[in-house]
Amino acid sequence: MEGKYSSDPEWASIKPIPLNDGVESGAEPLATIAYAAEYLEATSYLRAVMAANEMSERALKLTEDIISMNPAHYTVWIYRAKILFALQKDLKEELEWLNGVSLKYLKNYQIWHHRQVLMSRKDFFPSPPPKEPDFLMEMFAQDCKNYHVWTYRHWYVRHFKLWDAPRETQDVQALLASDVRNNSAWNHRFMLRFGPRDDEPDAGMPNSSGGASEKGRLAVVDEDVVDAELKFAQSKIVRAPENRSPWSYARGVLRAAGRPLSEWKEFASKFVIESQGNVEVKSSHAVEWLADVFAEENGQEAVRMLTLLKEKYDPIRSNYWDYRIRSITAQEVSASA
Amino acid sequence: MPVVIAAAGKPRRRVRFSSSQTQTSAAAREHAPIRSSRSNLATGNRQSPAPTPRDQTVLKQNQNQPQRDSMCEPQPHPGVPALFKEPPVLLDALTTETSELQNGTVNKCLSFLEGLHSSQPGPFNKFGVPSLRQDEHVGYLYDSLEEYPAGFAGMDASRPWMVYWALAGLSLLGEDVTRFRERVISTFVPMQNPTGGIGGGHGQLSHCASGYAAVLALAMVGGEEALKLIDRERMWRWLGKLKQPDGGIRVCEGGEEDVRGAYCAMVIISLLDLPLTLPPDAEARKYGLETFTSGLSDYLARCQTFEGGISGSPGSEAHGAYAFCALACLCIIGQPDETVSRCMDVPLLLSWLSARQYAPEGGFSGRTNKLVDGCYSHWVGSCWPLLQSTLDGVQSAADPRRAGSLYSREGLTRYILACCQSKHGGLRDKPGKHPDSYHTCYTLTGLSSVQYHHYHTTSSVSSKGASAFSWKYTPITTSETPSDQNVFDEKDRLTAFHPIYVIPHAAAENMRVWCEQNPFKI
Repeated sequence: MEGKYSSDPEWASIKPIPLNDGVESGAEPLATIAYAAEYLEATSYLRAVMAANEMSERALKLTEDIISMNPAHYTVWIYRAKILFALQKDLKEELEWLNGVSLKYLKNYQIWHHRQVLMSRKDFFPSPPPKEPDFLMEMFAQDCKNYHVWTYRHWYVRHFKLWDAPRETQDVQALLASDVRNNSAWNHRFMLRFGPRDDEPDAGMPNSSGGASEKGRLAVVDEDVVDAELKFAQSKIVRAPENRSPWSYARGVLRAAGRPLSEWKEFASKFVIESQGNVEVKSSHAVEWLADVFAEENGQEAVRMLTLLKEKYDPIRSNYWDYRIRSITAQEVSASA
Repeated sequence: MPVVIAAAGKPRRRVRFSSSQTQTSAAAREHAPIRSSRSNLATGNRQSPAPTPRDQTVLKQNQNQPQRDSMCEPQPHPGVPALFKEPPVLLDALTTETSELQNGTVNKCLSFLEGLHSSQPGPFNKFGVPSLRQDEHVGYLYDSLEEYPAGFAGMDASRPWMVYWALAGLSLLGEDVTRFRERVISTFVPMQNPTGGIGGGHGQLSHCASGYAAVLALAMVGGEEALKLIDRERMWRWLGKLKQPDGGIRVCEGGEEDVRGAYCAMVIISLLDLPLTLPPDAEARKYGLETFTSGLSDYLARCQTFEGGISGSPGSEAHGAYAFCALACLCIIGQPDETVSRCMDVPLLLSWLSARQYAPEGGFSGRTNKLVDGCYSHWVGSCWPLLQSTLDGVQSAADPRRAGSLYSREGLTRYILACCQSKHGGLRDKPGKHPDSYHTCYTLTGLSSVQYHHYHTTSSVSSKGASAFSWKYTPITTSETPSDQNVFDEKDRLTAFHPIYVIPHAAAENMRVWCEQNPFKI
């Protein structure tokens, strides 16, 4: 059959390697695909140039053609990166091309690894490209919780040491202003403020390899940052008290600072209003917070809070709340024994 | 073009397949009704290669609709408790994209949870839960192993997954998948690379995920021909190239480093009984690492976030699928009460994991402030036995302690059976979505985990005592836990799966034992 490649003199020197999907081996292979002729032809040339480890312009064009038919073909992306480096191509041009592909295939993740591979090259990108945050915000406008884009952005911050770059905080602020429930943005903020820096190994919380009681604890605490972040979390909680994200954030902040949850006892109590034997609850997270504070002071009160969660405010988790109640009761028994 | 041969399934399946057998031209296939997987997790993408058409009527009917007028509509089944019929007690007034999507999902799920949606044929049990439509799901999964039209080229790198998902789903449903042995072998032979490892297809780079799916599929079909298919020495040498100086493992050469790579690699290593020692030429040796597990548990520890959950790589957001990969990997490295307790802040992890379950939906979400999705019935659901076992410690094989549940088995069962079953077979993310074999496999895995207690013991089938082969299970019966009703019927019981390998226990054990008995020389 005459195809785009077989009829092209540029490709005459290549003997394509036809697809072996197991059909010839006897038993019918499973989950086969009746590929379009164009795809079959292009991938048969891919196998041939990859087998020869060919680093050429024509091979580069071939990878683009296959990506346009199947962007989830991880092999072709890795091969493409190899060619780009071997031919010393202008990676800034590649980045421009990649932007278009990224907006077209939003959920693809090879694209984001490819971007990271390009951006790692200090010779092309000694400093962060000025338009990078704009492009990432364009991606977040399509899907503000895209895991691959956030993972890339986290890597980008670490790679270029941008923890204190005003733009990072601005973008997080903007995303939280438009949706205060964007947990990905909260996570990014936490890493900006409290994530390991410089030569420390990366981790989802400070001192991650420390023992149970030390995990999450900063070695050196900037109390001003801590106070500002706690205030920030409170300002977001009052807008939507049942939003779990800022409550978790605040727990992480206090833990990083080595400060107790009881600091927020009064604040949490604003969402659990008790009068004449009645309890009016505005946030289940505030109830949980108070339960944790009481667990240190007064087991009975802690159990009362956990019972509220179990019976009324978060009953789908009743087995978990029961487990918490049992742990507190067991502690009390062993303490009084 | 190859003629599609029926999967040698039950006789009634042949009838189903006969229509596709006649479609030998590509054009005919283009127009064949496709009810197969659109998922593409193999290399990370869960996105449909083809646009996902939406059921406009369902959307229109359910989005932000006011509460139904109970006077003119049928009443919910009396067996459904209020928890699964009402929106949450606490709802903030502030509206954002997240809350709109969440409320829309709740509204969409309610009529399914109540058993009132027109696409639910029933029958319903005394708890108001629809029964598992086993025949339809079995038929769906058999179909999913046959040929796909050209529009599915986006799955070209995911065929190993397609095979695994279908065989795992069929095993859960009690089908004998050994009948696929020859077809599994002919599928994977061209995917094995002479330099070691298995790629997503012929000529594709070896990838941990493809190797994982292939090893599990081969274990499920069993038999010497299948068990010896993988060149274990070359697999070991190839895996050695993926080990990174920081202890983590890449998914492929030149690919990303994340906890998927770590979990898939450790599954391959432990099932195939590969040496834990790194090959002599492994790059990571230059950084002082000597084994595949060197620095690995520390890498996984660094993936726990301030929220308590576990991310795909250090510093990213906590995510249910990665939480499972990390915990299961730790349970291969050692016993959970030792490794998980050492690497994770367990109370913080428990709190985050527990918060993944929502009401009234009953199902799990993958991240804070994201929607429930049937696939997390496995990714999150299968974390529970691993964490439960972390808390309970080693149990006596003969007389394990009957531990309580830490999550709502009832809620998860209701979500899977009421919201995830598609009318024509297959299971899905949520109402309004199309089924695919990825979601079918992982919702069924979740349903199976609801039905058993899993615990680890000191007795391992491995002669080397590998701890991952010390897991046992006992079925949960309805009378056992009155505080957390089991709302499935006995006829809906699925096969128990190994909590780490996500295949039947015997399949995992047989592969390991065979590999131990057939050592290879380095």
